[in-house]
Amino acid sequence: MIQPREVLTRRKLVVCVGSGGVGKTTTAATMGLWAARQGRKVLVMTIDPARRLANSLGLKEFGNTETQIVVPGLPQGGQLWAMMLDTQTTFDELIQRMAPDQRTADRILTNRIYRTMSDTFAGSQEYMAAEKLYDVMTSGRYDLVVLDTPPVKNALDFFEAPGRLSRFFDRRVIKWFLQPYEEKRSFNPLAAGTSAVVFKLLSFIFGKEFLGDISEFLVLFKDMYDGFRERHEEVLRIFRSPDTSFVTIAAPTEPSMEVAGFFAEELRRRGYPRAGMIVNQVHQCAEEPLEPEILLGQAARLTGADLHERTAASLVARLGAAHGRLRQLAHSERVLIQDLHKINPAGAFFVELPWLEQQVYDLGALGVVADSLFADV
Amino acid sequence: MSGAARAQADIAELIWGKVILVTGKGGVGKTSVAASLGRLAAAQGRRTLVLELDAQNPSLNAVFAAKARYEPVEVQPNLFIANLDWLNALKEWVERVIPAKRIVERILENHIVQLFLDATPGNREVVTLSKLVWLSGEYDLVVVDMPASGHATAMLRTPQEVMNLFTAGPLHQRGLEAQALLESPTTHLVLVALPEEMVVNETLETYNKVRAEVPKLKISLLVLNRAARPSLSDDERALLERLSAAYPGGAEGELLLAGRWEATLEAGTASALDRLGQEAPLLPLIDVPRLAPDGGPERLVRNLAAALARSSSRALHPGGGR
Repeated sequence: MIQPREVLTRRKLVVCVGSGGVGKTTTAATMGLWAARQGRKVLVMTIDPARRLANSLGLKEFGNTETQIVVPGLPQGGQLWAMMLDTQTTFDELIQRMAPDQRTADRILTNRIYRTMSDTFAGSQEYMAAEKLYDVMTSGRYDLVVLDTPPVKNALDFFEAPGRLSRFFDRRVIKWFLQPYEEKRSFNPLAAGTSAVVFKLLSFIFGKEFLGDISEFLVLFKDMYDGFRERHEEVLRIFRSPDTSFVTIAAPTEPSMEVAGFFAEELRRRGYPRAGMIVNQVHQCAEEPLEPEILLGQAARLTGADLHERTAASLVARLGAAHGRLRQLAHSERVLIQDLHKINPAGAFFVELPWLEQQVYDLGALGVVADSLFADV
Repeated sequence: MSGAARAQADIAELIWGKVILVTGKGGVGKTSVAASLGRLAAAQGRRTLVLELDAQNPSLNAVFAAKARYEPVEVQPNLFIANLDWLNALKEWVERVIPAKRIVERILENHIVQLFLDATPGNREVVTLSKLVWLSGEYDLVVVDMPASGHATAMLRTPQEVMNLFTAGPLHQRGLEAQALLESPTTHLVLVALPEEMVVNETLETYNKVRAEVPKLKISLLVLNRAARPSLSDDERALLERLSAAYPGGAEGELLLAGRWEATLEAGTASALDRLGQEAPLLPLIDVPRLAPDGGPERLVRNLAAALARSSSRALHPGGGR
């Protein structure tokens, strides 16, 4: 069985997937910190709009640029870097790099369809995440990249959205649009064949202005689409590489387990390497109810003169009730975790992290979590 | 707390409105809150539709022991659920423009057209919102279980973006209608949060973003889900600390841990309420308690609906008819 620590010392890319609110970002930061403490140069990449990694690392803000986190006591070679994806900046940089000349780049960057699509619409975030990942992975600047994925309602979006945008630059789509646009500049269905009929109907539905704008946009992109496709395919290749590990992060709640199940299935279907699962925030409690009398006796002695015995009695009653609720919670979590166990592939690790009394925000606390997470299991 | 006081009438105002959009960070219980509001409205005799958007596996299914599809199904008297997938919505939209069904099908079956429609920026959002406009005419109330806050904010911005992009034509028209729906006084945005620091951060971020980017959309309520109101007195808390120091482990230790677990939850709730009150003083707030995890989603929603109804001043009781 592969150990979590082996994943972090041997792999080049670790992708954290799972639903929102399960501590994915914190776990990604924990992994990054631990690997840096083993002497690796690590980048933790988050593409989450809520900027949660910044919180986890005790930083106020960091941008699209890779920022080094000051961690005391790292060994020789160990470095921790973090980056938060800025979709617009990434897209702009990409255009600058891919455009055949500066004039085309400028025209694209000021094109209103481009401005809108690169900034606003669903899917561009996932696409740019993949793009930035390509950039970082091929740069050779890091020994390990830990990627924290955006919180998706639809687990599929993470895998499909980049392809969707890359298909937009598909040769056939572009060719199809350019045909009536370039050859005729008027939508004459008799002259241009079937595609022009469809085109005309589409312009009827969406408006001529819209299709005209799209066509113009595509004309600008026509020399770049091969580059886009190649990069996209390269990212898919990186995802499938044996140097990559996907780790599913979950919390012991029903919605989170469901998303974890989806990811497990999608990863399997796509042949992406599944290293294991981490279940965060697991409550632990003995199955047997306790005898409050024992505590009551101790409490009475401890209270001394400054507290009423009544306080002790009522506290003990409350503790008993709290313990009952905790026991019930721990029990229902146990049932969910057993179900999750079943979908974890053979040979993959399965780690449970206990619920912690203190919320994890700073490096010190992350370090404590790292130690318990990556001890041999 | 003035926010909570103001919230008294708000549940009633919500369910007597036309559209409720529910969003929040992933995992906070958006679906449960949306379903609860739907239940309450239906119990008042309002013909209500609860919608999920493009769900692979609709969470509403488990809540109502039914299957949410594109065509709404009635799961309780006056209460309908549906899963609004944008491709079906697109088909319907195109069919309304071009009444010839066969031509529409031919166009939409074209591989290139599919690629194009799938990838065109804003297309999904506008088509989805257009269908929502249409549905709001068909039902007394539509409750939308929106995507998680990041994507939801982008979606709410789409009508304005589309109108900027296309100054005339059918898409502009769609954008205009969708924007009008968002700005209507009977449309309400409800944020759902949990008493956890990171969730509160994201909630405030969403609140400020929506106020800046869709300023005329009413943010009517914040539901603080799974809140733990203080139950320990100061004396009890002091004693708990002293006992914890004396018994770090063993059976006593575990009993004390349970107490600290609840004390942690209570402290989290107090600080969340404090922060929300300070940074979003105008946002009406209702906190609903943690509900037992067993009993399944159906019971959870029933209890949540009851908790929401209790916080309202008007006579709302789940199950109480017209």
